[in-house]
Amino acid sequence: MEASESQLTFGWGALTVIALYLSSTIGVGWLARRSSRGHSLSDHYLAGRSLGFLALFLTLYSTQYSGNTLFGYTGISYRIGFSWTASILFMFSVITGYLLFAPRLVALSRKKKFITPGDYIAHRFGSPRLTLLSTLLMIYALANYTLAQLRAIGAAVEGLTNGTVPSAYGIITLAIIMVVYETLGGMRSVAWTDMIQGILLLSGFLMLLFMVPGLAGGLPAVVEHLSRIDPAKVQVPTLEGCMNWISYVFLFGFGAAIYPQAIQRLYASRSTRVLKRSLALMTIMPFTTALIAMVCGVTGSMVLPELASGETDQVLARLCSLIMNQSTEGYWLVVLIFAAALAALMSTADSALLSISSMVTKNIYQVYFRPQSSESELTSVGKWCSWIIVTLLVIIAIGTEKTLIRLLELKFEVLIQIAPCFFLGLYWKRLRGETVLTGMVAGLLVGLGLTWLGYPRLWGFHAGVIGLLVNFGCCLAGVLRPPMRDKTCEATVV
Amino acid sequence: MHSAENDEQGSHEPIREPRRHPWLWLVYLLLYAVAIPWYWPAGYRGPLVVGLPLWVAVSLLAVLVLAGWTGWVISRYWKTAGEEDSHGGQ
Repeated sequence: MEASESQLTFGWGALTVIALYLSSTIGVGWLARRSSRGHSLSDHYLAGRSLGFLALFLTLYSTQYSGNTLFGYTGISYRIGFSWTASILFMFSVITGYLLFAPRLVALSRKKKFITPGDYIAHRFGSPRLTLLSTLLMIYALANYTLAQLRAIGAAVEGLTNGTVPSAYGIITLAIIMVVYETLGGMRSVAWTDMIQGILLLSGFLMLLFMVPGLAGGLPAVVEHLSRIDPAKVQVPTLEGCMNWISYVFLFGFGAAIYPQAIQRLYASRSTRVLKRSLALMTIMPFTTALIAMVCGVTGSMVLPELASGETDQVLARLCSLIMNQSTEGYWLVVLIFAAALAALMSTADSALLSISSMVTKNIYQVYFRPQSSESELTSVGKWCSWIIVTLLVIIAIGTEKTLIRLLELKFEVLIQIAPCFFLGLYWKRLRGETVLTGMVAGLLVGLGLTWLGYPRLWGFHAGVIGLLVNFGCCLAGVLRPPMRDKTCEATVV
Repeated sequence: MHSAENDEQGSHEPIREPRRHPWLWLVYLLLYAVAIPWYWPAGYRGPLVVGLPLWVAVSLLAVLVLAGWTGWVISRYWKTAGEEDSHGGQ
């Protein structure tokens, strides 16, 4: 393949359009600042619990579907073919997960004015150790999540400019833009920019569906071609493959549903009615994103059969370069798709960043350093936290070796162990903090232990899911055990 | 922040929630069982349906039904007393 076909290179016109889009996010941040109602934590981190249907839906959508959906899912589909239909099911399963705890959590959060998931855990279990461990695990998982987005931003910018702009400059510039609009307007900024980013992302995916299958003569031609040269990509998965589908459903149903930034969006809704409508619409969004990513990936495996396994995450960029070279319309459609990719990365990263800042401020700084601090002081500390955290993450994203990054990729294995706090804690009155803590530690040991011993999956099940099973088992054993007279650990009735 | 008082009753409390209706989850189980392609013969592809192998089309249809089912469950089985209220003070 020639260099012109393998690289995305935009002219000044396209770069100006993208620069305008990025500048608009700062403008939105400024508008959000003007709309803020004081310096309360609720206003900064939850937009004053005022998000209406459109804002809530688009921020849920653009936060849930990240750059990984665009680049990672197309890459996996390129490698394994239609077996990645699993992604449509497991992205849907997140909404099923919400149904198992959100009605009660949302009601409780409105009464108790929770800001972070840690606030709920502290209230429900009354265990500082459990709250601290949960908060640290959530910060760790979200930091990894943000890091992955920053690295993808760097790769995208480097690819866009054909290496003229090094990835480090792209990471630094976009990280500064994100943290500036986030400091200006907090959640309100993030949600409003998410609206722009969500519309861009949705438009980008629809463009891909319109353009990509045509490169191979349509989807039926792709299936027939793969049936001849690589039949495994179109055949039904093996039994172990099906077990892997089940594992993914659990991983996302329990893990992605309790992402702190997702839980804070539940808190931030204007009303339960708005939240219900947003979640109902979210159920069909896997068809507009994960399904299209899969179609692009399998098309890529016919159009670009020579990609090495390490290069498969570039399949979307390479397909875009083919479209770009076909016509002027194709060129500008790819500009839109690229803007959508940046939007996907930024909308996920900014939400995770804001969530980390809220947890550091509310559940660590206030609890352990300044219990008497005012809301205004905490909001100010939160803004400084965002700058410090983003600086640290940018340094890691630019300077860390890949081997260390592999260790940092662990996030679901860690995050999913907090699931019993929500899925069981809201309903099992006899579940005590110490029991949940024991289960969490046991789940972590199993999940991380299996991963580090070289068994990230057993019989198709992710190590984190096996850890969660052990975790749930500990909670069940703790609840079935005869009650102990220990007032400090009595569970709050929720 | 720990509180043992049962002061959680009020207009926000769910008066109906999906978790309290086991039969809803039996339907979910059934639909998930259809969406996961464990029941096809090994190595099966099948005819093309809207450009997709049959087993993929069936899985996607099951997810579509799951989406519709979830919309119905949300509208009928998630009710709170003060659902219409705005709580942001805005």
